[in-house]
Amino acid sequence: MSPGVLAAESGVGSFQSFSVALTVAVLLCEFAMLRAPLSRSQVRIYAVQSLLVSGLAADVAIARHIPDLFAIVGLSLVLKVVVIPLIVLRLISEAVVDLVPSHRLGVATMVLLGLVAAGIGLFVVGAVHVHSRTLPTASFGLSASAVLVAFLLVVLRADVVSQAVGFFALENAISVASLVVAAGLPLIVEVAFFFDLLVAVVVFGVLMRVHHRRTGTLSTSALDELRG
Amino acid sequence: MALSPVVIQAAQVLTVAVFAPFVSGVLAKIEALGQGRRGPRVLQPYYDLVKLLRKEILVPEPASWVFLVAPALAVACFLTVPILIPVLTSYPLPLGIMGDILAGGFVLSLGGFALALGSAETGSPYPQLGSSRAMTFGALIEPAILFVTFTVALTTGTDLPYAEGDAVRASLAQALSPAHVLVMVAFFLVVLNDTGRIPVETHASTLELGMIDEARTMEWSGPLLALVRFGSMVKQFVLYVILIDVFTAPWGLAGSRSPGAIGLAVVALIGKALAVGTVFTLIDNSFSKLRLFKLTEFMAAVFLLAVLAVMVDLAGLG
Repeated sequence: MSPGVLAAESGVGSFQSFSVALTVAVLLCEFAMLRAPLSRSQVRIYAVQSLLVSGLAADVAIARHIPDLFAIVGLSLVLKVVVIPLIVLRLISEAVVDLVPSHRLGVATMVLLGLVAAGIGLFVVGAVHVHSRTLPTASFGLSASAVLVAFLLVVLRADVVSQAVGFFALENAISVASLVVAAGLPLIVEVAFFFDLLVAVVVFGVLMRVHHRRTGTLSTSALDELRG
Repeated sequence: MALSPVVIQAAQVLTVAVFAPFVSGVLAKIEALGQGRRGPRVLQPYYDLVKLLRKEILVPEPASWVFLVAPALAVACFLTVPILIPVLTSYPLPLGIMGDILAGGFVLSLGGFALALGSAETGSPYPQLGSSRAMTFGALIEPAILFVTFTVALTTGTDLPYAEGDAVRASLAQALSPAHVLVMVAFFLVVLNDTGRIPVETHASTLELGMIDEARTMEWSGPLLALVRFGSMVKQFVLYVILIDVFTAPWGLAGSRSPGAIGLAVVALIGKALAVGTVFTLIDNSFSKLRLFKLTEFMAAVFLLAVLAVMVDLAGLG
């Protein structure tokens, strides 16, 4: 069988290819956050990831003619790409930042664990066959692996910023999943998600400040020591 | 007039052998210009080789015949690979399908192994350190190469380099599919590693602490050193050819057996190799070298890309 026939049979359209590439890039951003040594670079990577998610939403809005989604794209561009990263960067600049990376395990080990998590997401959740009108069905598996890797980011990095960024990345991954499952949700429901995110930003902001004031560091490893 | 396939096959090997020093020379020049230096002449690698061929051979006391044979064996291995890959033609030539990508990889590693064995024989510390490091990091990058091969196998149903080139040429959608893009980036990083470029190794440095491949060549002299140098140029060119003609841009290859088409393919190949090489020199000039013990992070990133490519392909998204 010639390769041309193979490609035609797998039905890789240019839209699908592009949207899958964006989803893969969202997942890769999480791996980049996992290994990034500095909190600042993590926040910047989060901004890039949010930009990719907005791009994916815009892509779906154009290709599937869902004009409601443009409102989401706009909100996400303003909030997730600009406002939230700026707030978190500001919080970091006020704190004394540890120069020691907060990895609990070696980078190579974390990448391997991340790959296992991504594999579970991709194949276990991907096997569910959620029918989607907007994106390739298997994209759901990819977004599930992004969710799992975001969990790993929260678990494997022992500092408050990583945990906040991990939570925000988790929200990004869920946004991708919602694009696959329910891109045509009523606008009011989608906007409600954004308010959840804003609440989370406030809560994490307060947590970071309180933690920093009590322990004098952003690292959470100081929390398991008894204090007299 | 159509050339005999055997002649074209010989031309593939000759093209690599003759132009490898030229590509190295031009890239050294570009790299120097990027750093604000005038740089050596483009033909300097040829002059260096001729100079070295005229010098005498000195052999360290503990070295045996392995030390003398290793450079020639390495060059022979590196020059065998062009037979297996599409260098000038888009159609397989005689012996062209006797080995797949894995076989090509094995032959390249055999060359590297010969050099490591030869340099370990010298009894002097730096070549031994270099060969030990080269083997260690070679083993770490190997899994990524395997997964690259798996993706090729999943896409084409075979793992012949010619088939992968055909698949990329057949449809642009295939060339830009997520799995293929991931594989391209992964293989690009593998080439970065195997040609001893930053961030893995400073290829022109004389500082022993960060040396990997460079440290191995220290004890060879005269014609043997010429062979070792020539071998590393050939290896670099061969890896560029695999990156270009199998993964990224298999266009501009000869589709017929006419001498004109073959000649054009030679020119196109050198142009593409210089373009790819320029990207490598840009990376060389703009990043710093990773600390030796951080190299595992680089290898982990390459492995991640290659494994994700296989996963995405298996999930039906490739």
